Amino acid sequence: MEAVIKKSNRKKVRTGDIIYKIFLWVYAIFSFYPIIWMIFYSFKNNDEIFVSNPFGPPGVLRWENYVKALTQYNVPRYFLNSVVISVVTVVLTITLATMFAYATARMRWKGQNFARIFVAIGMFIPIQSILIPLAVLVRDLNLANKYLSLIIPYTAFNLAFSSMVLYGFLRSIPVELEEAACIDGAGIFTTFFRVIVPNLKPAISTLTIFTFLQAWNEFPIALILITKESMKTLPLGLLFFQGQFTTDWGAMGAAMAIASLPTVIMYIFFSNQVEKAITIGGAVKG
Amino acid sequence: MQSFFSNKKAIAIFVLPSLLLFTIIVFYPLVQIFIKSFYDWNGLSSGTFIGIENYVRLFDDTTFRISIINGLIFAAFLTIYQIGLGTILAFAASNIKTKAGGFFRIVYFLPVVLSVTVVCQLWLSVFNAEYGLLNKIFEIFGMSFSQDWLSDGNTAIYVVAFVNAWHYLGYQFALILAGIKSIPGHYYEAAQIDGASPLQAHLRITLPMLAETYRFCLVLAITGGLNAFTQMFIMTGGGPGTATYSLTYMMYSSSFRAGEYGYGMAAASFLVIECLIATIVINKLMAREKIVY
Repeated sequence: MEAVIKKSNRKKVRTGDIIYKIFLWVYAIFSFYPIIWMIFYSFKNNDEIFVSNPFGPPGVLRWENYVKALTQYNVPRYFLNSVVISVVTVVLTITLATMFAYATARMRWKGQNFARIFVAIGMFIPIQSILIPLAVLVRDLNLANKYLSLIIPYTAFNLAFSSMVLYGFLRSIPVELEEAACIDGAGIFTTFFRVIVPNLKPAISTLTIFTFLQAWNEFPIALILITKESMKTLPLGLLFFQGQFTTDWGAMGAAMAIASLPTVIMYIFFSNQVEKAITIGGAVKG
Repeated sequence: MQSFFSNKKAIAIFVLPSLLLFTIIVFYPLVQIFIKSFYDWNGLSSGTFIGIENYVRLFDDTTFRISIINGLIFAAFLTIYQIGLGTILAFAASNIKTKAGGFFRIVYFLPVVLSVTVVCQLWLSVFNAEYGLLNKIFEIFGMSFSQDWLSDGNTAIYVVAFVNAWHYLGYQFALILAGIKSIPGHYYEAAQIDGASPLQAHLRITLPMLAETYRFCLVLAITGGLNAFTQMFIMTGGGPGTATYSLTYMMYSSSFRAGEYGYGMAAASFLVIECLIATIVINKLMAREKIVY
């Protein structure tokens, strides 16, 4: 009797497994094929894309699409802008947030709770809603069309989230660390940089990825604050490919593939950290 | 130790840059939204105070009504697609025992790391009326109707919402899967001994235990839907007509296209309040279901 139950149970589990797997595979194709299709057509000419071979892999790899995207259009420039803006945003955000979180989590001063909650407001405001006053402000400060015109708002927006995460992390680090440093005669700054920051590494590395992705992909603020062609970031620059390239899907596909490559590679190498960076949000926000 | 932690100079150096930056770049504009929404303002002068006139006009504006409804459709679509489908996929992925779970996680998450412009243009080419992938697939199956998906005022908003839902499904999937994995295994062992099927176990154990995760997922999906802008901007330009306007899009077009900044600010302040209410309601509803084991 027992054996029969076990057997039927096992069978049930196995058919269940198959259904789950089919389901997972179907969505995997749905999630992945459009991207592959884009890579495919980045190597094709119009005849292949539209008529002779719309679905499959390219028969010949037409690298000239990539050469065209790189040489005739501003893709390298957009790329450089995005790298500079994202990297500086990450460095600034992490530096400021770490200092702010340390002062609110550890040090004792009047208004520390108020300051922490005040900055936390930033997590609950839809960024787009303050676009207009922000655009007016940037214009009045004469920052339009400079790297800083994006770096400063990106840093300010990411500050709230990063300092909340670091605050939570700092609360879990034992105070004895600083006490020992203090007894050894270290000042507050030495202690902060030599003792605290190294202990924050896991939080800092996830926040680095999180902030980088945010800055790399940001669209609405860039759209409104950047009008000069040479200052455009990738998400913005690619947008205007649409007009130039409507008849040349191959080169458009190539430009999009080039734009996606860095984040895709970064994700494949650091997939665990990236997902940790993303899910860390779940613990704090909401 | 006391003097160590209350070093005034250090506190000032640590705190002031962040506070200044946040106050000027985020808080000051936020206050401006509410103030300027009572002004007739062209973005250049200081404007003239006109009381609640912008709001009166807003509530009479059909575009505003369309924008609100589209925001709700968008939010509902994201919730059903990302959280509904995301939950089913996460259940399935947590149930299969092979290492393939990691593979699915990577494949589902891949769109999340793509730029929003790339994703929108990719789907524009899929939905393209003449050469698009979708109509080509219909051709293969011998169906002759080729549809101009984005030019139909009735379907366009769903297409646009779908693109956003597809883009970020992996994000919600990863959140839910992480939530499932954090549930201790012995709950399931106990359920199995009591004779519960895997599905029953999920319904009775996983769902209630995920209340915290769902709270965050809901905030993301709903405020994300209410805020929608980029997909409309890239894929439809708010059209056909005003069929795919959202509040942010309305704010954008009345400010930067029509030059009515005060009116745009009224729409913006409505958006802030809407998102705030949504967040509070979700937190209230989900907090009640919080279960401590």
